[in-house]
Amino acid sequence: MSDRMAKLIFWVGTLSSLALFLALTFDTHRNFDALTHADRIDERVVAGKRAFERHNCNDCHTILGFGGYYAPDLTRVYTRVGDETIRSRIERPEVVLAASYRKMPQQHVPPAEIVAMIAFFRWTSEIENGDWPPHDSEVRWKSSTRRLLAGAVMSPGAALVNQENCLACHALGDAGERTGPRLEYIGARRSPQYVAEYLADPQRFTPGTSMPGYGQLPEPQRRALAEFVATLASSRRETP
Amino acid sequence: MRYESQRVAYPYFVVALLLFGLQLVLGLWLAFNYFFTVPQAIVDVFPFATARAMHTNLLVLWLLLGFMGATFYAIPEETGSELAWPRLAIVQLVILVAVGVVALVGFLFGWTQGRPLLEIPRPLDLFVVAGVLMFLANVGVTIMRARRFTATQGSLLAGLVFLAVLYLFGIPFYRNLAVDWYYWWWVIHLWVEGAWELVTAALVAFMVIQLTGVERRVVERWLYVELGLFLFTGIAGTGHHYYWVAAPKYWLWVGGVFSSLEPLPIALMLLDTWRHMREARRPLRPRLTWVFLFGMAVLHFIGAGAFGMAHTLPQINYYTHGSQVTVSHGHLAFYGAYALVNLSFFYFAIPRLKRFPSDEYRSTLGHWAFWVMSLSLLGMSLAFGVAGVLQSYLERVQGQPYMVAQQPIRFWMFVAFVHGIGVLAGAVMVIAHLLTLRPEPRVEPAAEGARAT
Repeated sequence: MSDRMAKLIFWVGTLSSLALFLALTFDTHRNFDALTHADRIDERVVAGKRAFERHNCNDCHTILGFGGYYAPDLTRVYTRVGDETIRSRIERPEVVLAASYRKMPQQHVPPAEIVAMIAFFRWTSEIENGDWPPHDSEVRWKSSTRRLLAGAVMSPGAALVNQENCLACHALGDAGERTGPRLEYIGARRSPQYVAEYLADPQRFTPGTSMPGYGQLPEPQRRALAEFVATLASSRRETP
Repeated sequence: MRYESQRVAYPYFVVALLLFGLQLVLGLWLAFNYFFTVPQAIVDVFPFATARAMHTNLLVLWLLLGFMGATFYAIPEETGSELAWPRLAIVQLVILVAVGVVALVGFLFGWTQGRPLLEIPRPLDLFVVAGVLMFLANVGVTIMRARRFTATQGSLLAGLVFLAVLYLFGIPFYRNLAVDWYYWWWVIHLWVEGAWELVTAALVAFMVIQLTGVERRVVERWLYVELGLFLFTGIAGTGHHYYWVAAPKYWLWVGGVFSSLEPLPIALMLLDTWRHMREARRPLRPRLTWVFLFGMAVLHFIGAGAFGMAHTLPQINYYTHGSQVTVSHGHLAFYGAYALVNLSFFYFAIPRLKRFPSDEYRSTLGHWAFWVMSLSLLGMSLAFGVAGVLQSYLERVQGQPYMVAQQPIRFWMFVAFVHGIGVLAGAVMVIAHLLTLRPEPRVEPAAEGARAT
């Protein structure tokens, strides 16, 4: 190889890659607003991002898959656990995560910052990023809605979810609200035994939670409900 | 050493080595956090996040100080002149170390920019910029005055300017999270797969020319090809970080195609090093310097090339992104490429800076250090790799919640921790060995011939 050839490889290689990269950067900027729903970024979302940075959340948690790998990814935390769980974990981690083998620091985050962070996570949960992360994928939630519909006929637990209006606070599949954690998430983490006991007296497990107690339900019904929630855990990815 | 001003490199090396040791201590603490339940009272005052910020910033700081020291050593020889302002180089070191110390203490008290790897608070960034400008001015003016340009110093200077310019993209506050990460990668990716590769390739070329006596023209011709391939694959290869950040879909193609080519330049660098070693006109002495230099070429390829390639395709990355697989690749790549190129340069330069009668030095401890440190690091990366594959399968494929999927991973983090002790032990030996380097008492005939310059 001649010296000229070597220099040519250097300049052609570098400049072609650079030109492609800058052109695509320009085009990406034209698409960002639509893909991230930039119109929904209000001052509260921005304040939430600042608070997220101020408390260095990102060096334990990942978001969009980037950051520390020590704690759950927060990209879709809002659709996964909802409003109140995010709040209680930031507000009282020493209580809420008392039984966990991994702790979250009590940082005495001011209430206004918590509200802003929830707004930030809500905005983040809606961005269109190729359906990542896979475990919080839309496809997966939708398949659990189908399971619910199929099971409601024969499952007393599913009927109870309906009767007690659980979806007024919890999400299930693509239905329900985002105040508490989604039922699939609870089902994947907790045993039916635990869920049944929790239903009887939520305050015993999570002091201060807005979850009402279901002590008035007969014990077999609480267990049926709990069994149903436990079956919601999607143990494998279903084809859409 | 032929120029008095090359001496300023030595304090840079010493500080870099000490920070390296501290970085590893914090790394062990991080691994410990994964398998042992640290009580809430300790987590409240010294959370994982703080320790991680310290671990990563120490890494960046010591590598950059090492690069700067190496540049101050190499530039006078390349230009054939004294450094423009040797005293300024010391002032610059003091400023950068002060920024480092203030930042580390600040992290302990929660003073942070709060973005991974770029935690240094914005007011301190100004001092970083000031320090780097002093550095570039010093090196730039030295080259301008000497009016002797070589491809090696061109690559070195281009890498350093590129590095400094990219840092600026990490300073602003971005309102949109996706845009934030888009430019975050301009700093992180284009540093490690762009600017730092230029610096590394230049330092390796410099050492190879000096140690083997292979003609400069031959070495620099291949340097051009390496750099062309590094930048061709590396710049557009940034796309492999844009798969899941809400950027357009074409990044899946661009990132996938360009980054699957990224191992090529590293393979070429390994091949070139090997070829120059075979064509050497002098015996390959001192042996330990070569162990580090060639070890760097091999582990650079395995860590950055192979391990990076393993999870760079979008189909795989969808499941492995943001898992311990990234950690596995990150550790072996940073060690193989950048920790070892610095340590190789220290072994190359320190005997010369201390004016040993020949370049030979007592090396027993150093040989042990290399093997203990490198094999432990390989074991550690493999343990992270097993943890990462488990995590990808349990969490991403099976859909288990994060903390449920982490449970079986704790054992592998313990395995990583045990290997981490080995890395720290090896590193302590390297640091002790380099800081107390002694000339070989008996000068072998072969060594006479190996006398460089």
